[in-house]
Amino acid sequence: MTIPEHLLYTKEHEWVRIEDDIATIGITDHAQEALGDIVFVELPAKGRKVQAGEAFAVVESVKAVSDVYAPVAGEVVETNELLESEPEKINTDPYGEGWIARVRMSGDKVELLDEATYTTYLEE
Amino acid sequence: MRFLPHTEEDRRSMLETIGMTHVDELFADIPERFLLKPGTLELPEAASEAAILRHFGRAASANLHAGQMRCFLGAGTYHHFVPAAVDHVISRGEFLTAYTPYQPEISQGTLQALFEFQTMIARLLDMDVANASMYDAATSVAEAALMARRVTRRDRVLMAESLNPRYRAVTENYLARNGGHICIQPADAFDERDPIPSLARAIDDQTACVIVQYPDFFGRIHALAPLRAACDEHGALLVVAFSDATAFGLIEPPGHFGADIACGSGQALGIPMSFGGPHIGLFACRQRFVRQMPGRVCGMTEDAEGRRGFVLTLSTREQHIRREKATSNICSNQGLMCTAIACHLSLLGDAGIREVAMRSAAALQKLIEQLPPAITPAPGAHYNETVLRFPDGKLRDAFIRAAREAAIFAGIPLETLTDRQTHAADLLVATTEIISAEDIDDYAAVLHRTLEPRK
Amino acid sequence: MSATRYSATTGLVHEEPLLFEQAHEQHEAMALPGCAAEEAPSPLASFLRQKPAGIPGLSEPEVVRHFVRLSQWNHGIETGFYPLGSCTMKYNPRVHEQIARMPGFAQAHPDQPEDSVQGLLSLLFELQQALGEITGLPHVTLTPAAGAHGELVGIMMIRAWHDARGDDCRRTVLVPDSAHGTNPASASLAGMRTVELKSGPDGQIDLTELKSRLDDRVAALMLTNPNTTGRFESQIAEICDLVHQAGGLVYGDGANLNAIVGKARPGDMGIDCLHINVHKTFATPHGGGGPGAGPVAVNEALAPFLPVPRIERQGEQYRIVRSCPQSIGPVFGSIGQVGVLLRALAYIRAFGRDHLHRIAEDAVLNANYILHRLKDAYHVPFPGLCKHECLLTDKFQNRHGVKTLDLAKRLIDLGFHPMTIYFPLIVHGAMLIEPTETESRRTIDAFCDAMLEIARACEKGEVQPMLDAPTKPFRRRLDETRAARKPVLVWPERANGSSADRS
Repeated sequence: MTIPEHLLYTKEHEWVRIEDDIATIGITDHAQEALGDIVFVELPAKGRKVQAGEAFAVVESVKAVSDVYAPVAGEVVETNELLESEPEKINTDPYGEGWIARVRMSGDKVELLDEATYTTYLEE
Repeated sequence: MRFLPHTEEDRRSMLETIGMTHVDELFADIPERFLLKPGTLELPEAASEAAILRHFGRAASANLHAGQMRCFLGAGTYHHFVPAAVDHVISRGEFLTAYTPYQPEISQGTLQALFEFQTMIARLLDMDVANASMYDAATSVAEAALMARRVTRRDRVLMAESLNPRYRAVTENYLARNGGHICIQPADAFDERDPIPSLARAIDDQTACVIVQYPDFFGRIHALAPLRAACDEHGALLVVAFSDATAFGLIEPPGHFGADIACGSGQALGIPMSFGGPHIGLFACRQRFVRQMPGRVCGMTEDAEGRRGFVLTLSTREQHIRREKATSNICSNQGLMCTAIACHLSLLGDAGIREVAMRSAAALQKLIEQLPPAITPAPGAHYNETVLRFPDGKLRDAFIRAAREAAIFAGIPLETLTDRQTHAADLLVATTEIISAEDIDDYAAVLHRTLEPRK
Repeated sequence: MSATRYSATTGLVHEEPLLFEQAHEQHEAMALPGCAAEEAPSPLASFLRQKPAGIPGLSEPEVVRHFVRLSQWNHGIETGFYPLGSCTMKYNPRVHEQIARMPGFAQAHPDQPEDSVQGLLSLLFELQQALGEITGLPHVTLTPAAGAHGELVGIMMIRAWHDARGDDCRRTVLVPDSAHGTNPASASLAGMRTVELKSGPDGQIDLTELKSRLDDRVAALMLTNPNTTGRFESQIAEICDLVHQAGGLVYGDGANLNAIVGKARPGDMGIDCLHINVHKTFATPHGGGGPGAGPVAVNEALAPFLPVPRIERQGEQYRIVRSCPQSIGPVFGSIGQVGVLLRALAYIRAFGRDHLHRIAEDAVLNANYILHRLKDAYHVPFPGLCKHECLLTDKFQNRHGVKTLDLAKRLIDLGFHPMTIYFPLIVHGAMLIEPTETESRRTIDAFCDAMLEIARACEKGEVQPMLDAPTKPFRRRLDETRAARKPVLVWPERANGSSADRS
């Protein structure tokens, strides 16, 4: 299981990469492994305003469903449309091609963990 | 007790295995004050199979039924012919006594039949996909309204008054507890004007869906194109409900008008009337809404050796996984009826379905042609159901009584269904391929006789 | 001991194409009675269907063989043991089929005059009375079409009861985390908010947790007793008292009624409202998914809110009452799943007051016997007496890399339908086994032998047959991921070779 150093993490197992005011969001390797084969991703609508901690996407496997919570508040500016046809990218490349959405940040964030803290959190 | 295989010795030794001497010990976890003394419930005494058959047989023979009576009753339940082969197939223990096919390797029979059913229903309605059934037409329409609200994230549901009042009442009842705004657009069986344009005008930007029955509750057929256009303009869904699905062997199906959801009864496709159930609710929609669809659905896949097989799929919509956020609470559905319909439709084929519909429509046409001038049939194009208006309610009721003497169930007094006293001289009448020319002659003869003394 | 001893699948198993692949030109349509017509009535001229639906019409011999072959790929209770926990798969008496098909029932129209269906109404009334007596909740609606539908109706009534008392802020329903998924789904559909109750370490309702959740917004607790771990909630009276003291009502999920039928009554324990799955307790066939029926029984307080239509007796006559002032209204298009309900009444009549309790006695005996035989080979999360079903887990087998799904699939190769797996959700790797009262000792012993053989094989490290299972049925493990990723829900090809192309 990989936990890249350069990303930040939430206790709900999202990862987030912040570049300027844009946050790119996905789910962690741990999360995809727990869910199993991803079969469907419900992406948020572009332009949607989200609160930090709000459920804004849904990831489904054959027998499980998981909400994805926005780690940051802001406006959804881009979603990964590749996931509509190839949801399995979340399994094969969770931190790369399996990203879910980009949010232009304005305001709050939930508590974000660095790689070391997230690793410890998972071990607990 | 013939359904219990254990001997007393079996019970004794099984109890002994688990370290008990008396069956009461098995219930030691139930507080004693709640335990009943055996034989104290106020129930009839145990009956032999022969006694049960006699008891039920007597009750059955106290009823009149469509085997003895010429049945002109409709309103959502129709007396179509069901070939013996259909009943034989669904009497097979492997279909009849199977559970929901959660273990697909040993349920391929049920699953393939479901897949065939879904395909046939989608084709008959000209829709992309169909699910593996809802309880009945009324709950199917209610579920369609709820689904339209999920898809559009809007609350307002617009219904035509010409939707079967029972479907309407159940839908209103389901929506009422979920903050729904319901709007009923008036419609009357005897209004010459086409009600569709005014229904289309009632669609607005807050409307989740418009629900229209086709053919409507009074049996009338309307062109639905204006509704499709208005739905497109306002981003609402077009929900087309139906009662007698044999219609679509003859007239254009809901998909032809661009329905987003088609829902209604499948009873006419091989299910006995059984005093109202078990029937089956059909539910079909566009492919792109499939993840908002209620109910189970069967899909095609492959097994570990690459052979074609079928499984229940898209289960994350359902209650056992999504719990309070499920698209519906439905679990048990009308599974066996799906198998019955798949069997019935394959016995008929396109040509047979058309023939059923032709004969059902022809019988109504013939009946209309023989009506005395004092009886007014509802205006417009009708498939196999219409409303007859009598000079007054007394005459209508006298006719119903006289017809019954002649072994005819002549129709349903309309106000008993609509609760409107303006319908107190109206009779809802339906025909199927079982109604013969002679039945219609007899019907007309009784009608003429009943009206004669007025001359 | 040879594994093949239990095998269920040998011999002539036919491949059978889809009906659409067998379609051929239809020579003649089925002969039909009625009014023959050359042309459709003229008013319909502008509405006529232009393209046929594409439904293959085959001859009767072809159709019957097709469906009989399909049936042979199925397992049913008539074929063998069906130990699905929470499902109560018991033998379905054949006389029920004869009864439901009597023309006086099967060919009765729901809107024919009331005085022409008195026989049928008398039986339905009799069933209402019997279910009221059996549950200790005397007022019964037969209308709900299935268990989940009954839950919806029950919660609607409970909501109406609170509202009628002016207590219209009660919109919370407490649902234990061990509950059937239908419970929270039904509560949502009734417009209620669900709050999950965490079960105690023994799988039972935790009174402290319950107390902490009870407030003046709680409308009801939904509870299954015996619960989904197969054990009786012995504190049932205290639980009901607590909820009642807080102003709430107790909804009983009757899915597990088979454990106590004829022995004890939910109404006596303080439950206010209960649905009955007649396709479980009263032996009506499951039909590969339905139809079921889910009558709801309630106490005096809830009686005014029962849905319409209702069946009442007035003197010697039975009446269908379609409107009552406080009723929650109609919830279904007719009076109910009549054909199913008649079968249930026949089962109750067969046992009668003399024998009804023996259903629960044998069902509970069988479950405890299985538990006792398997308890050393499989992990038992909640030891002690069980009721009509017993709960095991895959904890011991996990050490050998085998999980519940593999154990279940291996059972198929040994000739048994698997038990319910991964339910209840609160137990990791759950296996819930429900034998019912209609299985013989021989069958139950053979099932236990097969389970023990699997456990022994795991201990010996012979796990490959588990991971490969099933190998014997007509199909191996099916790819559910593929089915869900790219759903194919209808056959895409048309008879003329073109494929459906719409979006």
